[in-house]
Amino acid sequence: MSMSLTEPRIIVFTCNWSAYSGLESAGAEGLSYPASVHPVRVMCLARLHPGLILRAFELGAAGVLLLGCPPGECHYGSGNSRAAEMFEELQALARLLGVRDEQLQLDWVTTGQGATFANKVREFADRLMLVPAT
Amino acid sequence: MQTESIKEAIRTHRAHYCLDCGKCTSVCPISWRDPSFSPRALVESCRLDATGTVLSDERIWECLTCGRCSLVCPSDVQFVRFVRELRSVARHAHQEGHCTHGATIQTWMRMMADPEIKQERLGWLTGDLRTAAKSDTVYFVGCLPYYDVLFRNTGAQGTEIAQGAVRIMNALGIEPMVLSDERCCGHDLLWEGDTDTFGRLAKLNTESLRATGARRVVTTCPECAYTLRTDYQLGMEVVHITELLAARWDKLAECVTAQESEQPLTVTFQDPCRLGRYMGVYDQPRQLLLNLGLQLAEMDHHGSRSICCGTSAWTQCGATAKCIQVDRLREARATGSDLLVTSCVKCQIHFKCAQNDPVLEDGLRIEVRDLVTLVAERLKESAGS
Repeated sequence: MSMSLTEPRIIVFTCNWSAYSGLESAGAEGLSYPASVHPVRVMCLARLHPGLILRAFELGAAGVLLLGCPPGECHYGSGNSRAAEMFEELQALARLLGVRDEQLQLDWVTTGQGATFANKVREFADRLMLVPAT
Repeated sequence: MQTESIKEAIRTHRAHYCLDCGKCTSVCPISWRDPSFSPRALVESCRLDATGTVLSDERIWECLTCGRCSLVCPSDVQFVRFVRELRSVARHAHQEGHCTHGATIQTWMRMMADPEIKQERLGWLTGDLRTAAKSDTVYFVGCLPYYDVLFRNTGAQGTEIAQGAVRIMNALGIEPMVLSDERCCGHDLLWEGDTDTFGRLAKLNTESLRATGARRVVTTCPECAYTLRTDYQLGMEVVHITELLAARWDKLAECVTAQESEQPLTVTFQDPCRLGRYMGVYDQPRQLLLNLGLQLAEMDHHGSRSICCGTSAWTQCGATAKCIQVDRLREARATGSDLLVTSCVKCQIHFKCAQNDPVLEDGLRIEVRDLVTLVAERLKESAGS
């Protein structure tokens, strides 16, 4: 498969306490992930709302991956379960708008897990490459 | 340049005829609750503005565009049209109102302006509802499936309205077309001054609707009806469903079970601004309610004097909006009605949202329903089969 020059842009919202520390670990360990991934650090995924994420799609993002704290490990206690509720509403709206499930996912990374972060974003990007262009 | 555009808006919409009498302010629901707002004063600020600073004035976005002011203006100043144009000028100067709900709604509207988008918007169409690939009628569903998701927590009806509309049309022998590539009509963007995106949505919808070859478009949302009728150049008949049902009552009467109990339900009707003041449809929904065997108890403010549900175009929702909604719900309760019926999903969403107030809850309690679902649940089982 030849790589297009206009590689799709992928936005990864990272929780400051888990996924972002995973990203930093990945950097420190010299692990690579696709250049199309544009991380956006937020203090907590619960800070996001459907409008903000749909806006990424409006501006042309090929995919949006939300990476937060694993269940039971939220830095603030309830942020990741709030994020999961928000994600349910977001996903229903995104489906109506024709966004496919592989373009929008919620997942988690344990603090400091550089390899997990790099693998998850790479897998997400790989799945998007397989999506036929519409 | 901007000051020229403001002057142009003043001329076009007769704002230079303002007599400074303040009658508009006396009937404005925003002014009642927020003394800093007055249509008269906003017009005056624009007329005196020499540098375009008025464009950053928050008051530009406060107006509900409900149109009560136009009813009393002695010089026929077209205030709501003036505000609409002023917003467009302000937007070009990089100003905008505060979009409620994190601009989620405006964002999906703008996403729909992408010609390539492939929506999955017909999931509400259950097997018992009959639609046709070719028909003289198109049902324009609007954003109902989207509101159904975003406002599920308020208990607002979304897809039930769409399903009810098709069920009633089926009973009348109409199998409408519904479009998988229908987009938001753009009403809210237009009234917020985003004329560019509105133009793109209007073009795409016009192409899709014309391509159906249908003669008539039916909507369940008064804002869709008004926009398609007035701001599109469709060349097709556009009717709100209350107009269709009132006109076809003879046939519909055979299909519904009118309430025959000794104590019929009493209902009161909230006139949506676009349906009432903008399109003059006041009698049809009331006639339908009476035909269903319901008793009608009017609120103090009804018909052309009706009061807006408190927010328009999903912008500037806040304390003033909440006060208007609370007042209106109390007015509805004061009629002693069992139901507050409306014909606009947005009125329903706004009232149900206000009713979620944990402190005022009991004092605001009255069931809010859409007229379409009220008719649909009274359809006889055999109707239309």
